[in-house]
Amino acid sequence: MSDLVVRCHSISRTYQDDSVPVRALVDVDFEVARGEFVSLAGPSGSGKSTLLNIIGGLDRPDAGTVEVDGVGLNQLSESDLSDLRLHKLGFVFQAYNLIPVLSARENVEFIMQLQGVPAGERHGRAEAMLEELGIESMADRRPGEMSGGQQQRVAVARAIVTHPVLLLADEPSANLDSTTTEELLKLLRRLNEEHGVTIVTATHDPLVMSYARRQVRLRDGRIIEDSAREAA
Amino acid sequence: MPLKLLAQLSTRNLFRHRRRNLMMLLAIVVAVAGVILTNALIRGMQYDMREAAVANLTGHIKVLAPGYLDDPNIEKSFRLAPDWQPDVPAGEVEGWAARIRIPAVIMSERETRGIQFVGVDPARENISFLGDVTLIGEGLKDAEDGRVLIGVELARQLETEVGRRLVIITQGLDGKNREAGFRIAGLYDAEGTALEKQFVFTGVGALQKMVNADVVTEVSVKLQDDALVTDDKLELDVKSRLASFFSTLDVMDWQELEPQAAAMFVYVDSAILIWFLVIMGALIFGLVNTLVTAVMERIREFGMLRAVGMKPSAVVMQVVLESTIIMLVGVSVGIVVGWLLCTAWLGDGIDLSRWSEGIEMAGMRSRLTPRLMGHDVILVTVLSLVFGVIAALYPAWRAVKLKPLEAIRR
Ligand SMILES: Nc1ncnc2c1ncn2[C@@H]1O[C@H](COP(=O)(O)OP(=O)(O)O)[C@@H](O)[C@H]1O
Ligand SMILES: [Mg+2]
Repeated sequence: MSDLVVRCHSISRTYQDDSVPVRALVDVDFEVARGEFVSLAGPSGSGKSTLLNIIGGLDRPDAGTVEVDGVGLNQLSESDLSDLRLHKLGFVFQAYNLIPVLSARENVEFIMQLQGVPAGERHGRAEAMLEELGIESMADRRPGEMSGGQQQRVAVARAIVTHPVLLLADEPSANLDSTTTEELLKLLRRLNEEHGVTIVTATHDPLVMSYARRQVRLRDGRIIEDSAREAA
Repeated sequence: MPLKLLAQLSTRNLFRHRRRNLMMLLAIVVAVAGVILTNALIRGMQYDMREAAVANLTGHIKVLAPGYLDDPNIEKSFRLAPDWQPDVPAGEVEGWAARIRIPAVIMSERETRGIQFVGVDPARENISFLGDVTLIGEGLKDAEDGRVLIGVELARQLETEVGRRLVIITQGLDGKNREAGFRIAGLYDAEGTALEKQFVFTGVGALQKMVNADVVTEVSVKLQDDALVTDDKLELDVKSRLASFFSTLDVMDWQELEPQAAAMFVYVDSAILIWFLVIMGALIFGLVNTLVTAVMERIREFGMLRAVGMKPSAVVMQVVLESTIIMLVGVSVGIVVGWLLCTAWLGDGIDLSRWSEGIEMAGMRSRLTPRLMGHDVILVTVLSLVFGVIAALYPAWRAVKLKPLEAIRR
């Protein structure tokens, strides 16, 4: 039980788009155990981002319950959700992950700064993380001076340097070519295998899916296939 | 949320759009420097007018017999002990003078005019305009000098000159007219002609003999200028001391004696504030516009920051800081520029003598010197920063209005 990082029970989410209701998620049950690397797959519009955002406390379901690391999100206020995101989750978005006016190093330190990690420890952890991800030579560059792949690496570094219980990555490779995507995926897999980081990504890219250990397939807001269930 | 981190983000974002923010900064500098300079000029005018009013034989505080103002004549007079001194701490009073000032008629061989006949002790008149007039001929030697000093303009009207004799008729204490001849010691050239036509001076002792009474009609006290600026209760304090000493007499301040100048003095205070608010009000629109642009082009960044757990209050703070920093820099530079304009450029004052007629009517001097006052600078600084915060409110609201997810999806 305590090894479940994510527990979604019967969640639904309907958007009111131009008065036509769009059912983005329909009665979804979804669980993630600690240490898993899950890929949410499915065509565009199938509800991947919606599910990821609900898990990440950025959106709320209309029905059903969500628990992250044992904490029920339904009852939390916006401000509590904000704290939860800050202290427990790591995010990598498709784009605009980094703060343009900060260097790579400062970006990596940024969330630790929000958390109030003391300067000495912060510098040490950022340094180690940049090295670990092989981007220490980028440390003093600003995002505008880096390639897309380098930026995403910095984004991953920033997301995991705080040791989040869960890393959420929505289409992390959308703006990358296949070589760079593969490098990023190798990095994610290594973090998952060597450091035990729990990862959920959403993607429609088969390459990304192939790197995850568990594939969950969505269509029209429902889970239609889950490699974990088949194995069980 | 560490303020240092927010300030760092704000500063770097300001530097990121150097040109846009430099334009904004320039607008603030020009506005602040302009306000500082115009304030200083208006202040210069304000203090000029007060000084002129006070120098006009008024002083800051005056002791008069009851009824003198309604009907100035020698009966409305009082005795002053020869060793009298105002009972006021040294350093607060610049000087004082006891005078007789009564209406009289002056006649030359050719013309007759109505004037104010003023008996003075010339040694004490450094507190009035008489202290810095230009003389043709001689001044009065002392309080017993029985000659007269008349204005250049009056001499022209009477078609007379230094050394000639004049006849002056005035009422004695017994109600009977006295007539006496006076030799002209000198002519005084005051600023403008109004004073020159009005006042004729002689020694107070000589005038006492003429009206046959050992009295004066007024004691005028001038306070120290610096003490007046630092202590705004000084005037009231000295006034009440004098009032308790001269309990049977009227003790009046310059505001009561020169109500028009006093009203102007008060009006200028609000004019300065209104002028500043108008300028800053116009500036605010530019600032709000700049900030909204800065916020809207970073809306995804703000969404991302909140998605990773930054509090809305921290986002608001960041926008407020950006606004305040720009204001602070603009105001600092603006004050320095304004100060330079007041000292290096207009330090010697503006020569207004070409318009001397109108200026005299307004009670000003022919040279207008800017007067930069500490509390005006503080007011401009504090209000500008308040405006900086106010200008940030709407842009800040725009920055946090969208939910993080909506901002990212933009
Ligand atoms: N904020 C929103 N407003 C209206 N409709 C939305 C919104 N977000 C998502 N949708 C709709 O919900 C469905 C699922 O979207 P999403 O979860 O983004 O799919 P995916 O990430 O799999 O492409 C889509 O039809 C999409 O148009
Ligand atoms: Mg999506």
